[in-house]
Amino acid sequence: MRIMRLATRQRELLLNEHKTLILCVDDEELPLTLRKLVLEKQGYTVETVRSATEAMRTLSDHPVDLVLTDQVMPGGTGTELAQSIKKRWPELPVILISGVNTIPPDAMYADMFISKVEGPAAMCAKISAVLAARRCSSL
Amino acid sequence: MKDTQKVNILMVDDQPAKLLSYEAILANLDANLIKARSGREGLELLLKHDVAVVLLDVSMPEINGFEMADMMRQHPRFQKTAILFISAVRMSDLDRIRGYQSGAVDYISVPVVPEVLKAKVSVFVELHRKSRELEHLNRELESRVDQRTRELQESENLLRERADLLELASEAILVRDLDGVLTYWNAGAEALYGWERSEVLGHAVHERLDTRFPVDEASSESTVVALGRWEGNLVQKAKDGREVIVASRQVFKKEVASILEINRDITAQRQAEEALRQTERLAAMGRVAGIIAHEINNPLEAITNAFYLLRNHPSLDDEARYYAQLGESELARVGHITKQTLGFYRESQHPVNVPVAEILDDVLELQGRQLVMNKIKLDKAYFTAGEIRGFPVELRQVFLNLIGNAIQAMPDGGHLRIRMRTRWNEATGKPDLRISICDTGAGIRPEHAKHLFEPFFTTKSTKGTGLGLWISKGIIQKYDGNIHFRSIPWKGRNLTSFCVVLPGASPALKGLEHAHHAVGDETARASVERA
Repeated sequence: MRIMRLATRQRELLLNEHKTLILCVDDEELPLTLRKLVLEKQGYTVETVRSATEAMRTLSDHPVDLVLTDQVMPGGTGTELAQSIKKRWPELPVILISGVNTIPPDAMYADMFISKVEGPAAMCAKISAVLAARRCSSL
Repeated sequence: MKDTQKVNILMVDDQPAKLLSYEAILANLDANLIKARSGREGLELLLKHDVAVVLLDVSMPEINGFEMADMMRQHPRFQKTAILFISAVRMSDLDRIRGYQSGAVDYISVPVVPEVLKAKVSVFVELHRKSRELEHLNRELESRVDQRTRELQESENLLRERADLLELASEAILVRDLDGVLTYWNAGAEALYGWERSEVLGHAVHERLDTRFPVDEASSESTVVALGRWEGNLVQKAKDGREVIVASRQVFKKEVASILEINRDITAQRQAEEALRQTERLAAMGRVAGIIAHEINNPLEAITNAFYLLRNHPSLDDEARYYAQLGESELARVGHITKQTLGFYRESQHPVNVPVAEILDDVLELQGRQLVMNKIKLDKAYFTAGEIRGFPVELRQVFLNLIGNAIQAMPDGGHLRIRMRTRWNEATGKPDLRISICDTGAGIRPEHAKHLFEPFFTTKSTKGTGLGLWISKGIIQKYDGNIHFRSIPWKGRNLTSFCVVLPGASPALKGLEHAHHAVGDETARASVERA
């Protein structure tokens, strides 16, 4: 019985995933747009903002399911943003995506670190893994 | 001088009248006449003056002439002093006078004939003068000899001092003739080159030291001879084959047709400079890596995403999709290179327990197809699970690199031997994990050995980035470990072994010993013979 229920729940989650809202943060417009397009192809709903400040404003306005933020940005890094987010919404998953291969020392506030060169497939797989883990822990 | 050259004549007689008459006879002899009235007085005066001849009356009261002569002969100073006895012609006296065989002795009989006395005295005076002259000459000669001896001694001391100084010098000091044959070789040279004096003297210097000149040997040698001196750096070989770089100063000595040479060892200095340059290059490399990582990776992601979207676009026909795929796969290659080489990407933030055995097996599985294609026989043995604290991704990168290089070095088959064991490290008091990867491939040329771990050094021309070993070394150094290698000729091929030493391994696990198994090729069980 229990297994049946879990399977049903999992199906629901899979269905839900298509309505998942991701907030994308990056100071560079073109990479941000392309990332949004890739995620949309994957079935996510995507909102984009160009800075950490804007991201915090959006989050205060309405909830999202996941934040995908660039690391190196003027006016506040991705890890700083992750720290601010976790203070107010500790359950909200935050993923850092960076062009610099070295993990920043304060990366522990984020749920995951993705290198930009890993490519779109790996990025999508990791996002989906983080979302799945979040749902499992909130079951 | 004249006055002192005037000789003294001592006249001894108890009768003043006789003394006066002798004085008159000898007056024009140009001599000092000293008178004594008795033997005793005569002896006293003898001690005060240098007397050439003693005129001695035989018959005197108290001490007679013979007694005085005896006393004189006992004194070393007067043994040779001439004595002229004045005596009556008595047989006994004459016999006694003849008894004084040694020394100048004569007699005059009484009555004294003035001419005879004068003649006899003057013979003695002349004799004395001559012997005194001779003595003087002798003395002068002796003092001259002494002086010369002293001078020689001094210059010999000076030479010995200089020789000692040459031996004290830490520089190699050598002297050779124009054919290069060594005639001098100091202690500094023995220490620098390891050749003992007896092994090099008489041999040609450049043959022994295998000298490499900055210009060709002939022109360097002719410069020394033509200009009298030469300065420059030479690369030479010590007895044990070690390469030494020396700053050399050479001087040509025309008069002895020799070249004097002082060589200072600057090998360590050169190496330090080289290491510094290397460090600077690495630092520059790191800065470049950071810039590239940021400035390349950002647009790279955007382009990759664009191609990803393009490739999946429904409006594309097969040909256009094929082109998009080509572009995408080439981009993946760029992405792979920047990720693998520029910056050490760590997946986890904290080190975890990594079983190196698992990593090695993963890598071997990944390379399995290549092993079969290259007909490489694998022989591996883990004497420990090799668990260490670290980051699996970067360790995997190291072994992927080393094993990949080994496989690429054997395109026409060979043996790949992998060993992992722990070894106690006395210095740290902990066991080290040692992983050796040994191949029978192309080998490493000695001239490449020095540069193997340098960035952008590759022997694979267009195929390699030249960063693999540099990065591997960087990773292993983060673990306070080390990579070293050896490449030696073996059965007409080359045996190349890379050894990774990682400190802080957990002790060897029992039961894992001799866990022999092959991966990839099922027939790959033949083991590599031990070198």
